[in-house]
Amino acid sequence: MRLFNWFRRGSLERGLDRELHYHFDRRVADLTSVGIPEHEARRRVTVELGLAQVCEEVRDVWLTRWLRDFLYDLRFSARSFLRSPGFTAATLLSLALGIGATTAIYSLVDQVILHALPVREPGRLVLMDWSGSDFVTYATGSSNLMPYPMCREIQQQTRFLDGALCRAEIQVNLTAGGDPKPVAAEIVSGSYFSVLGVGPALGRVIEPADDAGYGTGPVVVLSYDFWQAQFGGAADIVGRKVLIGNHPMTVVGVAAAGFRGVDVGAVPAFWMPTSMAAYANVDEDDLLNTPVRWVQILARLRPGISVAQAQTGLQPWFKAWLQDSTLRRGFPRLSADHIREYLATTLDLTSAPQGHSVLRYKLAQPLWLLFAATGILLGLACLNVAGLFLARGSARGREIGTRLALGASRGRIGRQLLADSLLLAVAGGVLGVVVAPLAIRGLVAFLPRDLGSNALSGALSLRLLAFAFFASVTAGLLSGLAPAVHAGGDSVVGSLRERGGTGFGGVRLRKCIVTLQVAFSLILIIGAALFLRTFTGLLAKGPGFDTSSLLSFAIAPTQNGYSEADASRLVRRLDEQIRALPVASSSAAARYAFLNGYDWRNSVTMQTDRRTVTDGTIYFNAVSPGFFSTLGIRILAGRDFNQSDIRPPGEIGPRVAIVNQAFVKRYLAGRDPLGVLIARGGASNVKPDSVIVGVVADMSYRGLRDHYEQVFFPLFEHDDTGATFYIKVRGAPEQAIPSIRRLVQQDDPRLPILWFRTLDDQVNRSLNTERMLAALSGAFGALALVLSLIGLYGVMSFVVTRRTREIGIRLALGATGASAIRLILRDAVVMIALGIAIALPCVGALGKLVQSQLFGVTATDPATIAAAALVLAAGALTAAFIPAWRASNVSPTDALRLE
Amino acid sequence: MPSPRFPIPQGTLDMLILQILSLEPAHGYGLAQRLEQISRSVVHVNEGSLYPALHRLEQKGWLRAEWKQSETGREAKFYSLTTAGRRQLAVEKDSWARLSGAVNLIFEEGNR
Repeated sequence: MRLFNWFRRGSLERGLDRELHYHFDRRVADLTSVGIPEHEARRRVTVELGLAQVCEEVRDVWLTRWLRDFLYDLRFSARSFLRSPGFTAATLLSLALGIGATTAIYSLVDQVILHALPVREPGRLVLMDWSGSDFVTYATGSSNLMPYPMCREIQQQTRFLDGALCRAEIQVNLTAGGDPKPVAAEIVSGSYFSVLGVGPALGRVIEPADDAGYGTGPVVVLSYDFWQAQFGGAADIVGRKVLIGNHPMTVVGVAAAGFRGVDVGAVPAFWMPTSMAAYANVDEDDLLNTPVRWVQILARLRPGISVAQAQTGLQPWFKAWLQDSTLRRGFPRLSADHIREYLATTLDLTSAPQGHSVLRYKLAQPLWLLFAATGILLGLACLNVAGLFLARGSARGREIGTRLALGASRGRIGRQLLADSLLLAVAGGVLGVVVAPLAIRGLVAFLPRDLGSNALSGALSLRLLAFAFFASVTAGLLSGLAPAVHAGGDSVVGSLRERGGTGFGGVRLRKCIVTLQVAFSLILIIGAALFLRTFTGLLAKGPGFDTSSLLSFAIAPTQNGYSEADASRLVRRLDEQIRALPVASSSAAARYAFLNGYDWRNSVTMQTDRRTVTDGTIYFNAVSPGFFSTLGIRILAGRDFNQSDIRPPGEIGPRVAIVNQAFVKRYLAGRDPLGVLIARGGASNVKPDSVIVGVVADMSYRGLRDHYEQVFFPLFEHDDTGATFYIKVRGAPEQAIPSIRRLVQQDDPRLPILWFRTLDDQVNRSLNTERMLAALSGAFGALALVLSLIGLYGVMSFVVTRRTREIGIRLALGATGASAIRLILRDAVVMIALGIAIALPCVGALGKLVQSQLFGVTATDPATIAAAALVLAAGALTAAFIPAWRASNVSPTDALRLE
Repeated sequence: MPSPRFPIPQGTLDMLILQILSLEPAHGYGLAQRLEQISRSVVHVNEGSLYPALHRLEQKGWLRAEWKQSETGREAKFYSLTTAGRRQLAVEKDSWARLSGAVNLIFEEGNR
C-alpha cells in the first residue's frame, strides 16, 4: 500500500537526500579531477541534476500528487482545528448529534423495515393475501391470514412457484428440565425450511414427512439463539425430550445460526410442524379442510417469473379453489349476493424479501417519520457548521487572500476548505457512531419490552457503519460546499485591503442559511407539538376506567392440557379465592386481556321487530360478574351479570349479554336496548338467543385510540381457554403479587402465570409508539431550536460587529439606542418571518403523512402551529436581541476609534 | 546547452535500468555512468529522470535497494534485481524484440 509511504515519509526523505548527495559529490569529484575548478563543477552539477525537481518527482512516485496534497491539507486542517478548540467542539458536537441520531434511527429502519431475511435468494419470496371484500378481510386486518388447506394446494402450482410455506406464531408452555415457561414459537408447514433454504446447525430441520398427517411429527427444531441461551449450546441436544404443554416432543435439530424466523417482531424459540397443531392449542380437529384463517402463506417464485406474472397465472386456480371451498364442510350459509361477492375476491401477491411482520406494519410509518426528522436535524447541523465555517472563513479572509496573491489557485484553496469540513464530518461521524449504539438501546427501550429485547439489537453492523460514513461524508460536503465556493469568489485585492480581519464575507449567504434553519426547526417543533398533544391527549382520555391500584395477570390453562370445561372451573375457583384475599378489595376476570392487542370479534345478529346483522364487526369479551364495578365502569342502564346468568352450553334458560354505549348509539339508537335479543355471527342460521340486560359506558378494547362497539357475555360458561384477572388492590399493587402467585401455585404448580401487570403499566405499554414519537420528536425539536438559535445569534453578532462604525455614527448624530436596536432587529425579523413563511407550506404538505399517527388533533391544527411559531419567534428574537442590545450600547467615540 | 546525443526514447529507460542491474548491482551514479558507457555515449540519460525511475521500479517490487560501501569507501544506495524484476526484464526484452522485428519488417517491405 502506497499510503503507508505517508507515514514513513521522514525516513524516505532522508534516504533520498543521502542518495542524491552521494551522486552530487561523486560527480563534482569527477569533474574536478579533469581540471575544472570546484565552484564551477558544483554549479554545473547543480544545473545538470536539478535537485528540487528530482526530489519532487521522486515524491510523486512515493505518493500520488493529489493524495499527498490532500493529506497535507488534512494535516493543516487538523492543526488549525486544534488551535481553535471552541469552534472545533461546537462543530463536532453538532455533527456528532446529527449523525448519531440519524444512524440510530436508521438502524431501526434497517432492522425492522429494510433487512432481507437471511435465507436463500430472499428476493424471490412473495406473501399471499386474500382481499376484495370485507367478507374475507374482516377478521384478518393486516395479518395476511389464510386457511391452512390453501397452502397445501398452492404448492402444486409449480408453473409459477418453487414451493410455498405456511406459518403461524404461537405461544406455548415449554418444559425443558425445569419449570414450564411461556415461550414464543412458530408452527410451520413441512415445506418451511426447504422453501426458505435454511439448513440445520445441528441434526436436521423440519421436513415434509413431519407434516404428512395428524400427529405424524412430534418433533421440534430449536432456534440457534434459544439453544445457546437455554441449553448452553449443548452438543447432545438432538434426541432430548421436551414438553410442549403436557405433550412430549423430541428435539431433532437446531436451525442455522442467525435465522430467526420470518417475522422480525416475533423471534421463535423453536419450530414445530403444523401436523402437531393440536399440541399448540390451535384447536382444530379438521386441519386439512378447515376454512379458519390462521396461517400466513409465503411462496418462492420460480426463477424468471415476476410477481405480476405469478399473480395473474394463479388466478384460474384461485377461482376454482374459491368455487370448491363453498362446497366444503363448515362453509357458512350465505345469501346469493354474499356468495357472488365471495367468488369475486382475489389472491394478491406482494414481494416479501423481509418476510411477514406485524411489527413492521405498526412501526414502519413512525420509523420513517423519525428518520425524516433526523434527516432534517442532520441538515440543520450541516447548516450550522456551514455557518460557522463561513464565519471562520471571513476571519481567515486575509490568510486566504495572501495565499491567492502568492499564486495558489482558487481550486486549491477550495480544496483546503473542503478538507476542513470533511475532516470535521468524519470525526463527527466517528463520534456519532460511538454514541449510536447507546442511542439505539435507548430507542429500543421505547418499544414493547418483549419485542425490543428479543428482536432488535443495538449492535453496529457493516451496513450501519457504511450508512454512518455516507451520512458523514455527505454532511461534510454539504457543510463545506458553501464556504468553499464562497472562498473561490472573493476578490484578492478586496480581501487584502480589509482591516483587522473583519471580512465582509458571506453575510448574505449566512442569512440564507439561518432562514433555512428557522424553517427546518419550525417544521420539527410543530411535529413535536403534534405528537406531544397526541400522547397527552390519549393519556388524559385514558382507557375509560380508573387504572389506579388495579393489577392484572393472565393464565392459559388449555395450553397446559386443560379441557375448556376444566379451564372454566379453574378460572372460577381462582376468581373466588382471589376475591377472598385480604389485599383484594374487589376482583373479576375476563377471557381476553384488554389493551393488549388481542381481539375476539365477529358480526352480530339482532332481533328487534325484525332481524338485522351489523354491518361492522363487533368486539367481544366474556367477563365475570363484578367486572364492571371492579374496573369502575359505569352501568348506564339495566344491570351487571350475576351468578344465575351463567349457563354452561346445552343447559336451558335465558342467555344474557351486556352491550356498550357505542353499540347502542350505532345499532339501537332511538329504542330501548334492554330486552333486545342478539347473537354472535352473521350467518343466516344464527339464532339470536341472548337478551341484552345492561348497557355500560365505553372503554378501550385493544388500545386507547379505539372506540369500538362491544358486547360482553358471561364468563364461566365452560368454553374458556384462559383468563385475565383484574384485581382492585388495597395499597400498592406490587405487594399483592406474592399472595396471588401462591394461590395459583397451590392450585396447579405446573401452570405458569403469563404476566403480572398493573393497569397503569398496561396503559403505558399500549402507548409505546406514541411515547416514542412524542419523546423523540420533542428531543429533535428542542435540538433543532437550539441549533438555529445559535446560528441566528452568530449571524446577528457578526452583523453588529460589522456595523459598529455605522451605528456609532448614527448614535453620534443623535439616534437613540432604541432605534439602533430596531435597526438590527429588523434584519432578524425578516429572517424569522421568511423562515416561517417557508415552513408553513411544508407543514401543510407533510401533514398528510403524519395524520394517521395523530389523535385528537389534525396535522394542520392552527392553534398548535401558532404556538410552535410563537415559541420559535420568541426564542429567535431573544437570540437576536442580545447582539442588538450590545449595538445600542456602542459608545460613539469607541466606534469611531475602531478605524 | 543542447545535447548532441539522442534523448532516451520514452519508456525504454526502465528496460535499460533492469538490463544493467541484471549484470550486477549498482548505485545511482554508477548506473548513470554505465548507461553512458554501454550506449557508447549516443544516448543521453537525464539524471533528473534516473532517480524517479529507480524509485518507481523499487515501488513496483522489481528492484531491491540496500546501503553498502561503495568503491570510494562512502555508503551508497545499491540497487539490485528481484526475481520479479528478472521476470519483468524477460517480458520487456521479448516485447522489444517483437516490436523492433515488426518495425524492421515494415521498413523492408517499403524497400522492396
